[in-house]
Amino acid sequence: MSDMTPSAAILGALRAILPAGGVRAAGDEAIAQAGRADLPAVVEVLTRAGYVLAGIVLETIAPGWQCRYVFYHAARPGFCHIDLVGAEHDPLASISPLLFAADWPERELEDLFGIPSEGHPLLGDFVLHNEDWPEGVAPMRRSYDVRTPKPAREGLSWRPQRFVDAPGAFSMSVGPVYGGVTETAQFRLESEGEQILHATPRLFYKYRGLEKIAEGRPAADALLLAERLNGTSAFAHAVAFSRAAESVAGVAPPPRAEVLRLVFAELERLRSHVSTIDELAESTGLTVPAAMLSAVVEDLLRLSGRVSGHRYLFGLARPGGLAADVDAGEARDIAATTRAAAARLGRIVQGLSLDNGFLDRVEEVGTLSVARALHHGVVGPVGRASGLGKDLRAIQPYGAYRAAGVEVALAEEGDAFARLRVLADEAQESARLIGSALEALPDGPVQAPWQPRAGAALGWVEAPIGAAFHWLRLAADGSVVRWRVMPPSFTNWPALSSAVEGYAFQDFPIILASFGLSVSESDR
Amino acid sequence: MTVLLLSLLVPLCGGVIALGLRERAAAAALAATGAVSAALSLAAGILGFLAPRPANLVFGHLPYLGPLALGLDPLTSLFLAVTGVVFLAVAIAAPGYLPRYLGTYSLRGFSVGFHALLASIVLALAARDLITFFVAWEAMAVFAYLLVAYEHRREEAQSAALSMLAAGEVGTMAALVGLLLLSSHAGGISFAALEQGAASLGSATRWGAFLLIFFGFGVKAGLFPGMGWLPRAQSAAPASASALLSGALEGLAVYAILRSLAAFLNPLPADAGLLVLVVGAVTALLGILYANTASDLRRMLAHSSIENMGLIAVGLGAAFTFLALGHPLLAALAFVAALFHLVNHALYKSLLFLGAGAVDQAAGSGDMDSLGGLARRMPWTSGVFLAGVLSIAALPPFNGFSSEWLLIQSILRSVVLSSVAVKITFALAGVLVALTAGLAATAFVRAYAMTFLGLGRTGAAERAVEAPAALRWGMGLLGALCLLLGITPTYVVSGLGRIVASFGPSGAVGTLVPPFFSGRLPAAFARTFQAIGSHIGKGILPGPGLVLMHRTGPQGTGVAFAASPTYLLLILLVLLAAAYGLRLAFGARTPAAVRKPWDGGRYHLWPEATYTATGFAAPVRVLFHSIFQRTVKHEEVVENAFRVRIQRQPQESYVVDRLVSGPITRLGRAVADGLARLHHGRLNLYILYAFVTLLLALLVVHFT
Amino acid sequence: MWTTKGIPAGVLTRRRLQELSRSPGATPGRPVNRPSAPGGDPAAVCPTGALSWQGEEVHVALGRCISCQRCRREADIPWQPDALWAESLPGLEPTPRSFRHSLHVRVLDGGDGGETLRELRQLTSPYYALHRLGIFFTPTPRDADVLLVVGPVTQGTRQALLDTYEAMPDPKRVMAVGSAAISGVPTGPSFTASGGVSDLLPVDVAVPGNPPPPLAILDGLLILMGRSAAKELMP
Repeated sequence: MSDMTPSAAILGALRAILPAGGVRAAGDEAIAQAGRADLPAVVEVLTRAGYVLAGIVLETIAPGWQCRYVFYHAARPGFCHIDLVGAEHDPLASISPLLFAADWPERELEDLFGIPSEGHPLLGDFVLHNEDWPEGVAPMRRSYDVRTPKPAREGLSWRPQRFVDAPGAFSMSVGPVYGGVTETAQFRLESEGEQILHATPRLFYKYRGLEKIAEGRPAADALLLAERLNGTSAFAHAVAFSRAAESVAGVAPPPRAEVLRLVFAELERLRSHVSTIDELAESTGLTVPAAMLSAVVEDLLRLSGRVSGHRYLFGLARPGGLAADVDAGEARDIAATTRAAAARLGRIVQGLSLDNGFLDRVEEVGTLSVARALHHGVVGPVGRASGLGKDLRAIQPYGAYRAAGVEVALAEEGDAFARLRVLADEAQESARLIGSALEALPDGPVQAPWQPRAGAALGWVEAPIGAAFHWLRLAADGSVVRWRVMPPSFTNWPALSSAVEGYAFQDFPIILASFGLSVSESDR
Repeated sequence: MTVLLLSLLVPLCGGVIALGLRERAAAAALAATGAVSAALSLAAGILGFLAPRPANLVFGHLPYLGPLALGLDPLTSLFLAVTGVVFLAVAIAAPGYLPRYLGTYSLRGFSVGFHALLASIVLALAARDLITFFVAWEAMAVFAYLLVAYEHRREEAQSAALSMLAAGEVGTMAALVGLLLLSSHAGGISFAALEQGAASLGSATRWGAFLLIFFGFGVKAGLFPGMGWLPRAQSAAPASASALLSGALEGLAVYAILRSLAAFLNPLPADAGLLVLVVGAVTALLGILYANTASDLRRMLAHSSIENMGLIAVGLGAAFTFLALGHPLLAALAFVAALFHLVNHALYKSLLFLGAGAVDQAAGSGDMDSLGGLARRMPWTSGVFLAGVLSIAALPPFNGFSSEWLLIQSILRSVVLSSVAVKITFALAGVLVALTAGLAATAFVRAYAMTFLGLGRTGAAERAVEAPAALRWGMGLLGALCLLLGITPTYVVSGLGRIVASFGPSGAVGTLVPPFFSGRLPAAFARTFQAIGSHIGKGILPGPGLVLMHRTGPQGTGVAFAASPTYLLLILLVLLAAAYGLRLAFGARTPAAVRKPWDGGRYHLWPEATYTATGFAAPVRVLFHSIFQRTVKHEEVVENAFRVRIQRQPQESYVVDRLVSGPITRLGRAVADGLARLHHGRLNLYILYAFVTLLLALLVVHFT
Repeated sequence: MWTTKGIPAGVLTRRRLQELSRSPGATPGRPVNRPSAPGGDPAAVCPTGALSWQGEEVHVALGRCISCQRCRREADIPWQPDALWAESLPGLEPTPRSFRHSLHVRVLDGGDGGETLRELRQLTSPYYALHRLGIFFTPTPRDADVLLVVGPVTQGTRQALLDTYEAMPDPKRVMAVGSAAISGVPTGPSFTASGGVSDLLPVDVAVPGNPPPPLAILDGLLILMGRSAAKELMP
């Protein structure tokens, strides 16, 4: 209920173009009912007002479907939800030509629900690969039983479409099985020689169908799935899920739990950023700083294990607060270890900044321009390195962040070195936040009683990779009706194509490592 | 001599016979009569080489000008032999490549052109006076034009042939003027007269004639700056005609240069030799750079021909420089290297062109970006083509190794020269030659790999069938000769040494092939080489030993360089046999499993995901961008605000066109435009022009 | 430059794995069988069915444990802070001589959430220093001795798994790392993921955990190298 003004402004603008009864305010959210034909105008109004797309939530609640486009303001608190309804076989209207960030969400909807977005030129073979799934399978529809055995694969095949039409052009395919210890994903690099002309990522080899599997299960079990979306930002996703569940039940966690959630989230962010910088150093072949950084990561993992019982903070966050508390000794342990880790990180990053060989490989390499970053709607450190200051801790603050005053790290160049600097600066900021939060840790319980209620809500966090949104609809008994995840990697992967174009094959692993994205989170 | 005359008559008869045959029999007839004619030429060459003294036949006499004569001396006989071999191979292969033209173009016409070209080349080689020579030369130019324009319904064949003819004529005119300069000084047109007049030439005349002759004949030989016609003509002509062009025609041009420079301009100043050296080095580099980036197999081979002609010119330039600076042995060495390279080039380039023709016939295209995987479909062709590739990449035990190695060694011997400027020029030329050698290996790895290895990139490539038997026989003959000359370099060098001695410095044999088998070497010296088997084969093999070696130092006991491809081959075979034996004895227990290639878990390998020839050439393109200056038109296709395709169209730019043909064309147009302004149609001014001209003529007559 | 920075950083590697496993936080530990239950139903607390009653004893199937820690916090199941819990499955053949000192591992991600992969990468950190044991991660299956699978094998990675296995030369072994690779938890056998690698390939060594700590993975690799005795975890 902090600031009603943004929503009021947008309410006025929306009422001007939509039927009046369909636009209403609910707290900090503006909710508008729209028809297919209104969408382009609505998108125009929202983009001009500074709103960006978080994602698209489609629910097949019989009969027909309900589609919610979730927008949030990129500089001030405030969400705007645009709702559409349709009959079972009604198609959607594609907004991707106007708002490119909707490209992947719309493709995903068509594959998983069988609902096409008309006007989108590239539908098909996105999540359900043509060589694995026959046509016409829509697993996210209500009617599809999760226990259906995997379909047969005889007679199915797929051949990639050439993007580059030039004499002597060829494509170099990296993956799906490649590298040493890497996630399964495929990148098709098309080239005429040494320079990459176009890169097409093909993901969803790791599609586990988590959103479908969660349906019908108790929320506590779905929380387990949320943690395992991306194990290295498990706590962040768990908090987002928990916040959504808390919003549904109208429960707020106690103050101590909020502060501890901040502490652990920043601990996870620190460890994740050090881990990304480790992979970047490894990709440029600098094994000494990579080894030193992985030792720092190990220290932080051990800290997490000591204090919460699990190295990746699994099983810690849950609706209502936290599952376990920390005592004074553990709090001192956290403060000291993170301080030492941040200091070591600072020294190593300073060394990297002075290493000419390293700078040759990361400066002006993999540049994502501001225009391209805006076009893709990039979130997280990748966006902040290209000058987009979107950090949910600052623009849509939640929990203890409302009081913490996060300083957002920014850079302008958008190259791999800028991303490194942003990651390093954020890691230092995380250590600072942990220290100041632990100094002022309030007393009290860490768990508020959470009773499930029917309803739906959005929960969000700034995960280490970027803005993560969880939409949760619960039934009265607390089981999941619909769980929709809009992870930051899913938003950022398309931007990799823009960052890689024009650079040589050898630069590709470095650019990939500098993005630090997760395939499993995006594939779900 | 009689054989020589027969070798002139028989092709003429063959050509006439071909006119009277049915189309269907033309290919077989070509094989028969062509083979006989070529064999006669080869026989004439061999006989001329073995003859104790040169033969001469005067068949006419012109007042004031001199006798019209034909002759057969060692230099002519070498080129006759080479021409004979090349034409023989192409004739044998004729039933393999001709029948595809049945119904589209005239097979009889090809046969006539073939025979006429052979006859004109033989006549040009045997000519001993300027008139016979130039008549034969022009006939050669005309019939070469007809052969290149054989597929006359194709636009590029017509224009390429025309550019060849035009450039050739310009060169011929220049050379003619040069030779006429010499002839007017010598007072006659016979070669004998020109040779006698060579010593007394003034410096200006010598230089003027040299430049005109070198650059004039250099056009037909494919040297800078007159080589612009070569890539177009050799890729537009049918492959067998390109083989003839590379093997025989360019050889004829080199013969003309060699005879003119060595006999008619003797002694050639050192600076002229250096100019030849530098021009050769530049030609070689430009040729191989474009060979590296050309996507069409025949165009690539054409650029490679330019490169090899450049290398031959490097050898000749080095030889003339050494001769002028008083090092006759080194000059002999360089001459031998150049001639050896010429012989080798004729053999392996013809082989490669015939192979390219076979590929084109089987897979429907010569574009390397649409070929691939042909080694499985055409194993014989692939094997023989590989032999050609190994030869041209100068790998032992094939012939290319010996000649290129000798060439580089002769450049390295420039350390004995005293002038620093000359040594620096040699060093720079040597650098370019070394760079060329490396790039040649790259270019031919690319050519072989992209055409024969990997996956077929188009359906046509996947459906290719083996080349017809005749074509394989023709290629096989050349391949066998490549190997033979590769493992008996000492015999070849001995023969070439004698040939060089006939027109230039003697002593080449002694300087390159020490008589290990004869016992005339100092015992201690010979003993040091017995450890490597220099005495093996003593009782069995005739003549010189099997080691190519250049001796220096007092009493010739020091060694500047040495190599023996023969022994290398023997050792290689022994080691291979030993390795195989070891494997049989110790390693054959664990059976090898055959699995499909690893493709990253992608289910299967698509051809468009394999490297293309264009991709392979990208590093060379990028490094030498200033020479290539290739531009690309980049266009993005957008559909409903989505980028759906990127279209790129490269625009190649040939450096010779930019530097030579382009400016000349622009100059010519400018002059023509200027002259066009005189054609204004006003009668009074025309009368004024006539009056002014008359006045000028009277003044000229008055004052001279 | 990095040499001068690296040397003062000191040596973090410890020779003995037991010493390493005593460092606090190096391992989350694991639930162990409990003789009798004072009250409540531990088996119901576990969301994946890893706990079951066997007579009077609560039995832990570690291959189904996803380390959610509910049984530890809500049902009093004891957790043992050890780490060396890799187990060899009955089909394991004797170690070839070539594996004893040098083992090349091809890692295949069959749908892991990223935490097991991170633990694998931690193996090369100075604390564990995998390379000193002669174990290397290789990008090509042609050089690989061991196929190390993480994650429940999804529909999309199934063929890649089979192709990779086929591309490896004999002798070869398969190692399933992580509870998801062993039994498919928590997504379970579903429309898009299998119930574990053993549905598709013969597994030789299994390392339960979610994720298993690096020490447990190391334990499993040493079993494959023959440097650690083959053992069954729960008879």
